Amino acid sequence: MRRGSIVQLVLFALVASAAGAALAIFPNWLPKSASAEAGRIDFVFWFVTGICVFIFAIVAAVLAYSILKFRAKPDDDSDGPPIHGNTGLEIAWTAVPTALVVAIAIVSGIVLAKDDAAGANPLRVDVTAQQFFWSYSYPGYGNKKSSVLRLPVGRSVVLRMSSKDVIHSFWVPEFRQKQDLVPGIHPTLHITPNKVGTYPVVCTELCGLGHALMRSRVVVMAPGAFEQWAAKKGT
Amino acid sequence: MSAHAEAHHGPPIENQSSRVSSSVLGMLLFIASEIMLFGAFFTAYFFVRVVNGIEWPPKPFHLPVFVAGVNTAILITSSVTMHWALQSIKRGNRAGLQGGLLLTFLMGLVFLLTQAREYSRVGFAPHDGAFGTIFYCLTGLHGAHVFVGLSILLFMTIRAFRGHFSPEHHHGVEIGGIYWHFVDVMWIVVYSTVYLI
Amino acid sequence: MTTTVHDHVTPGVHQGPPPPPGGWRRLLHPGFLRAAWMVPLFFGIGCGIVVLCRWWGGWHPIWFGEMIVLVGALIAAPVGFLAGIGAFDYWARYAIGAPTKPEDHSGHGAYSWRDYFRVNTDHKVIGMQYLVTTIFFFLAGGMLAMLVRAELARPGMQFFDNQTYNGLFSVHASLMIFLFVIPAFAGLANFVVPLMLGAPDMAFPRLNALSYWLLPIAGIMMLSSFIAPGGAFAAGWTGYAPLSVHQPMGTIFFNMGVQWAGASSIMTALNFLVTIITMRAPGMTFWRMPLLVWANFTTSLLVVIATPFIAGSQFFVMFDRVMHTHFFDTAGGGYPLGYQHIFWFYSHPAVYIMMLPGFGIASEVISAMSRKPIFGYRLMALSLMAILVLGFSVWAHHMFVSGMAPWLRVPMMVTTLLIAIPTGIKVFSWLATIWEGKINFSTPMLWALGFVSMFVIGGLSGIYLGAVPIDIHVSDTYFVVAHIHYVLFGGSLFTIFAGIYYWFPKMTGRQYDERLGKLHFWLTFVGFNLTFFPMHLIGTQGMPRRVSDYLPEFANWNLFISIASFGLGASTIVFLYNMVTSMRRGKPAEANPWRALTLEWQVSSPPPVFNFDEIPQVVGSPYEYGVPGAKHAVLNGDRAPAEVEVHR
Ligand code: HEA
Ligand code: HEA
Ligand code: CUA
Ligand SMILES: [Cu+2]
Repeated sequence: MRRGSIVQLVLFALVASAAGAALAIFPNWLPKSASAEAGRIDFVFWFVTGICVFIFAIVAAVLAYSILKFRAKPDDDSDGPPIHGNTGLEIAWTAVPTALVVAIAIVSGIVLAKDDAAGANPLRVDVTAQQFFWSYSYPGYGNKKSSVLRLPVGRSVVLRMSSKDVIHSFWVPEFRQKQDLVPGIHPTLHITPNKVGTYPVVCTELCGLGHALMRSRVVVMAPGAFEQWAAKKGT
Repeated sequence: MSAHAEAHHGPPIENQSSRVSSSVLGMLLFIASEIMLFGAFFTAYFFVRVVNGIEWPPKPFHLPVFVAGVNTAILITSSVTMHWALQSIKRGNRAGLQGGLLLTFLMGLVFLLTQAREYSRVGFAPHDGAFGTIFYCLTGLHGAHVFVGLSILLFMTIRAFRGHFSPEHHHGVEIGGIYWHFVDVMWIVVYSTVYLI
Repeated sequence: MTTTVHDHVTPGVHQGPPPPPGGWRRLLHPGFLRAAWMVPLFFGIGCGIVVLCRWWGGWHPIWFGEMIVLVGALIAAPVGFLAGIGAFDYWARYAIGAPTKPEDHSGHGAYSWRDYFRVNTDHKVIGMQYLVTTIFFFLAGGMLAMLVRAELARPGMQFFDNQTYNGLFSVHASLMIFLFVIPAFAGLANFVVPLMLGAPDMAFPRLNALSYWLLPIAGIMMLSSFIAPGGAFAAGWTGYAPLSVHQPMGTIFFNMGVQWAGASSIMTALNFLVTIITMRAPGMTFWRMPLLVWANFTTSLLVVIATPFIAGSQFFVMFDRVMHTHFFDTAGGGYPLGYQHIFWFYSHPAVYIMMLPGFGIASEVISAMSRKPIFGYRLMALSLMAILVLGFSVWAHHMFVSGMAPWLRVPMMVTTLLIAIPTGIKVFSWLATIWEGKINFSTPMLWALGFVSMFVIGGLSGIYLGAVPIDIHVSDTYFVVAHIHYVLFGGSLFTIFAGIYYWFPKMTGRQYDERLGKLHFWLTFVGFNLTFFPMHLIGTQGMPRRVSDYLPEFANWNLFISIASFGLGASTIVFLYNMVTSMRRGKPAEANPWRALTLEWQVSSPPPVFNFDEIPQVVGSPYEYGVPGAKHAVLNGDRAPAEVEVHR
């Protein structure tokens, strides 16, 4: 393989990765991040994106180059060089992807462990789903009920999930956290909101004809305001 | 052979590229997927009994371990007679084949009837809790296989009495036999998981 | 399909089946006429059994609608149909001990279009039957997708209510997966694999015919669920319990449809395995098999081992529905997540069942069209095996947020990510194969290269999903929908198109229109990316899947996607037009238009009824392009000048 073609190939790869990078940067891929977990998850997202852009750039470059350079002349029906393989190459493209996916696995594993670990004295909230609405109650505050999930900013929260009928799924895009609610079992979900604001709660597991409309809101408020709200009776 | 192939009314005798005969291999693969089907049912059993840890059997029900045990013995014996039938025809002993098949068929039938009687006496139904569900579905699945096995045995017996099998040609018996042995072994697994442990 | 006129048909020899008898005896002759009365008969028997059992068992009501439909219409009637068209005749004779007539091959081959509408034992005819049927269901499923897109064009409700919408995408997906991709690959392989092996037919021709005829049953069953009371099954193609247990009656149409389709693919897989193991031509060692054969070998192993699990999962749902058992109902001690574990233990391997044959097709096309040996042949075969093994160890990556045992997530993530390695080996080997080749950009090659690029995108989005933290965010969003379509459409469907165009001359004996073929490719390629790439974006931004209504902020993108999807749909018209017209009056194709080395190209197009006049003798690898004097096989006794034994 001549040096000239290597140079060209590298150029192709650079163009491709530039395009990929542009595609990764310009549209805003992720909604605004409103929890500590979201920050970590976004890091994994961009880490994987980097690797994938790199991989795709290579593939795209080789494809584009071959399409341009190795097109057979209309009258030419000779064969290409009989290359059966190349051990060096084959080891390379086994080893490099291995390294990359192992890296992805390690990063993901660490982030997962961090996200699953609840902080000090977490706020416990019971989340109950049924076709087709959400309800929340606060065991720490005399089982205060609410139809809107109100959380204090900066304190880690443990959501305990229950479902009354079929499987639903609790998702707040701004928190990046999601958990199915399965009848009979009570999985938990950790969230540490870090931005005051109001965000949608979406049901993401098909649960029947009302699934599309099964939404609710989460309101992240200043700790003081939250305590006030939690203290007074009624919803 | 070539001449025969030129006139397109028969395929050229295909090349046999493996020692196992295609029908035996086919039956073995079929049994492989049958085992996986049982595997799916045993997975359900696992989730209910191990993961959910339900009481087995829950009060006031109890399992007729002894009757089923006798039944097991019958089924195992039928495997022996099946083997005997196959050996006989290999040695060219028609009577042995016919007798063996008949005995096997009868014992299989007894097994199935006992199973049915057990169903009517155990005192719980498939809809009486997860235990009933798993019990009926595992034994029922196996019962269905016994039924299929019996039909195959019936066909083999008919053909045996019509004298279709010979020391050279007894593939039918061999294939059917493999299936019957599989049904028996499967029962031992079902019996020990559902009744004993 | 009237074009299968076989050359060297010897006069005097009886062609095709004996003509049906006249008069009332016609009713007993295997065929649709006999089916016409056997279907109602068996339906009646089915209903009778139900009523009798319920009466004897003292259950009420004795006339239980869902049970009647299940046993009568979805089990007994189809059996009646199969018996009617004569799928069981031979075995029935065997069973009752009647002397089975020594195989006169009257059931074999196609001499007029009628021979495509009967139980035919010729693997080439069955292959055609498969392809035409599956393409029909592709169109049906695609039209449903168009309805889905129409509903999603704007937020709020346009044309359908929620339940109907859920039915639309559920049937869409079920048809595409169980009635299109899986059987379409089986169809292509049915035609090609025996030829590639140098075999006269499949190992069990009658079983082969039966497994085809199960397909229309399954497909019609799923489609007809729309007329069931309460509408079509609407719990998604995954049919999660407990939802599917509490859905209207349409659900059992899915449960049973899957059973029939599954039975069909198990039988075919079994047939392939036996054929590949016991019927290879002399000299055709495993390391000389074309990669398509390798691909179907591994796929068939997957099918035989995994498919019983989906059968089980659907049985359980049916039992919970009609027998009120407690597999998935917590009150009675059942375990809802069990469904997902059992379902995905099949359905993840199923996604490789839907991709490995495509890998095989890509290898054939790419090697032949770039006139070079496949790069790293053995590693290609071994990576198929690696995917086969790994594929069984990753099912729970569909359940990262399901509430299953948390410790399962990291191991499953690791195995999931590892699959990138063998897949990567294949991708890079394809790239190395076209490198420095003499590439002929004919339509099949365009589809193959389009596949490589699109599948890499789909696979990489799979890596996002495989990384647990990311999956927690994007699971059950449109990001997953994008992944699905990049792998299934850009992966499986692109290779199916590549295969159809590549073997079209061999199958029909005519050439397709190259210009239309290329047009079809480019329209689809562009339309496909415009339709499905934006789905990644709206997914990560927060649009859940399986919703008929969505927040207004996603309105623009969805409108864009819908418009693009109609264009994508329209591109299919080009394909249909090309196929139909070329089959009729395309210019006759020579035996080996691609100058390929594999065996199917060494016989006439279309091949003679029994493929080879004489068993070919395989002497080398099937990909020795550019190796002077190399030969894959010698046919009809003509000795190769110097029989060079080529390695690898
Ligand atoms: C043809 C079908 C097909 C194929 C081949 C794949 C391939 C893969 N799929 Fe996909 N998948 C589906 C069909 C398929 N999938 C479907 C239908 C669903 C949705 C089911 C539903 O309805 O819920 C789904 C869902 C799905 C999920 C669940 C998402 C969710 O619901 O939350 C996950 C999660 O891990 C996943 C992962 C993967 C991975 C890792 C691969 C890998 O096999 C991909 C490997 C390939 C590559 C990675 C590209 C080539 C490799 C290289 C160029 C080497 C270098 C690469 C790296 C170093 C990264 N898939
Ligand atoms: C091989 C598999 C396959 C294929 C080919 C397709 C093809 C298409 N799919 Fe689908 N799809 C799935 C497998 C597939 N899909 C799966 C597994 C799901 C998940 C379901 C679930 O969540 O349970 C899914 C879900 C799915 C959704 C998400 C639904 C939801 O979650 O709410 C959408 C939405 O846009 C969609 C769209 C499309 C479109 C526009 C096409 C197009 O490519 C279709 C193009 C083809 C045609 C249009 C038909 C032929 C054309 C003609 C007859 C010409 C005339 C027609 C016109 C001009 C309109 N699919
Ligand atoms: Cu609740 Cu979807
Ligand atoms: Cu998967």
